[in-house]
Amino acid sequence: MSALAFTEDLQGKRDAAERAKAARRLIVDMAASERGCHLGGSLSVVDLLLAALDRAEGDDGTRVVLSKGHAAAGLYAALHVTGRLAENPAPHYGQAGHPYTGHPGPKVPGVAFPTGSLGHGVPYAAGWAWSQRLKGGGGLGIAVSGDGELQEGLVWETLQVAAARRLGNFVLLVDRNGGQNDGYVEDISPLPDLADRFRAFGCDTAEVDGHDHAALSAVLAGERRGDRPLAVVAATVKGKGVRAVEGKAAAHYVTIDAARAEQWKRGIR
Amino acid sequence: MTLSGRDAYRAALTELAAGDPAVVCIEADLGGKRHPFAEAHPDRFFNVGIAEAAMIDMAAGLAAGGWKPFVSTFAPFATLRAAESFKLALGYLGAPVTVVAPYAGVSGAWFGTTHHCLEDLAVARAVPGVVVAAPYGEAEMRAVVTAAAASGRPHYIRTGRNAAYDSLSPAGTALQLVHWANEGASGEPCLVSVGEEATRLCLEATAHDPRLAHAHLCYVDNEHLAGAAKALAARHGRLTVVEEHRRAGSVAEALALLLPECRVNSACADERWPVEGGDHAQTMAQLGLTATAVLDAATQHRHHQETAPCTSS
Repeated sequence: MSALAFTEDLQGKRDAAERAKAARRLIVDMAASERGCHLGGSLSVVDLLLAALDRAEGDDGTRVVLSKGHAAAGLYAALHVTGRLAENPAPHYGQAGHPYTGHPGPKVPGVAFPTGSLGHGVPYAAGWAWSQRLKGGGGLGIAVSGDGELQEGLVWETLQVAAARRLGNFVLLVDRNGGQNDGYVEDISPLPDLADRFRAFGCDTAEVDGHDHAALSAVLAGERRGDRPLAVVAATVKGKGVRAVEGKAAAHYVTIDAARAEQWKRGIR
Repeated sequence: MTLSGRDAYRAALTELAAGDPAVVCIEADLGGKRHPFAEAHPDRFFNVGIAEAAMIDMAAGLAAGGWKPFVSTFAPFATLRAAESFKLALGYLGAPVTVVAPYAGVSGAWFGTTHHCLEDLAVARAVPGVVVAAPYGEAEMRAVVTAAAASGRPHYIRTGRNAAYDSLSPAGTALQLVHWANEGASGEPCLVSVGEEATRLCLEATAHDPRLAHAHLCYVDNEHLAGAAKALAARHGRLTVVEEHRRAGSVAEALALLLPECRVNSACADERWPVEGGDHAQTMAQLGLTATAVLDAATQHRHHQETAPCTSS
């Protein structure tokens, strides 16, 4: 790598890191709304969303569907910092007269499908991938799911169909934060050998650090003209970036006051 | 020879697809081995396997990409197993997906209760924005399928198993809010039929008692029913709604609410569960759905004095 390329790469990483911090600050702002928000899962998934939205930046027809719709705050923040959503959603989160509901719907700019009832975003994205492949296009359908969400049968029903239809341009990006509404996935309904399960369903698989933008971008890069869907198990930390809630199951849904929000935002890393 | 509802659907869609490259036909392993669409357009026919919810959700993704998906599975699986997919994709999202549902009512007969669906209209009609059709006969099914493909709106189309019914109108007749199958005598009750077997029963009933009017409704979503109700009330004040469906969520309930000034009663499956074998007519009889029951319900109206239409036309 030349010195110039190294400098540009470093700058790119710094930009991505700063953008992720900005998104996390917005998420904390939404936790400080009178509604509160699904903080832990929004903070864990936001790096996945940013990388996926970056992948959809081109004109190849790639679309991203947040299937774990309860992380709406993370999605709104990611849409805003990537420029798809012009207005800052945080002051309007959960408010009458604005579309920023606790689970996202298609009235939000940049949101194509309603999600929140877990499982459905996976077939929406697979259907989108199918639509592109039928046209002969190379666009991806990227579903961003939770790991607890994988307890829904619809996810596996869809993988069965996607593999049978040879939708190699369908990507399932799993936010493996280990938490779910009532506790830890491990304690409630564990998902051991996750990558093996996806392989058994006919998927290509990758396991990455879900907070490493470069690694996520690399796994999503390029065309996927083959027959096997791609399942990416992204290891994440629930509450990532806010020390007070990192790794805590209780961070699933959080409501804080403005003073605490300012304190948490200053400490975001 | 006239085609059954589901064969008419398959034939109509196959013909439509020849002129509309956006039409795709999807089955969840209940399309049969020699589906005409598969033979004519194999690149646009897909059997996704036994995956009804994924089929409807994926159809929404296909529709977002500009395709016109027609998906088909039996009515209980389309509206009950995949109810949430139906609500979100066809309703909230308004995706232009058409769900075609054979085996509605008890047309599955001896196959048993898992293959019956006396609740589909309640589910489909409860989802705002979905056009709900229960066509009778080949011509009406063909017209409904053609209209659905052109509409850009979500549709639910109910039909039966293999029974074929002679069309009420010649092929090419424009679909109407109300098809007057029998004008009846002035001041007499009016039978209102919804669906294939109910329409057959009403034809049988009016053959026995031609004084009764018979209005057949093809579209039964709330938007169409509002218009149909006005047309019915302009001619009649006493309606007997006949439907192979439960009372809850029925068209009878809807018309009663739309027409508080009218007398509305119902011949339907109500809350019974058919538990025996038998053919379709025998299973209907287990539910109390016979031409005699239809005539009895209409006769109940004759015990009341009011005979005028509900509204002046």
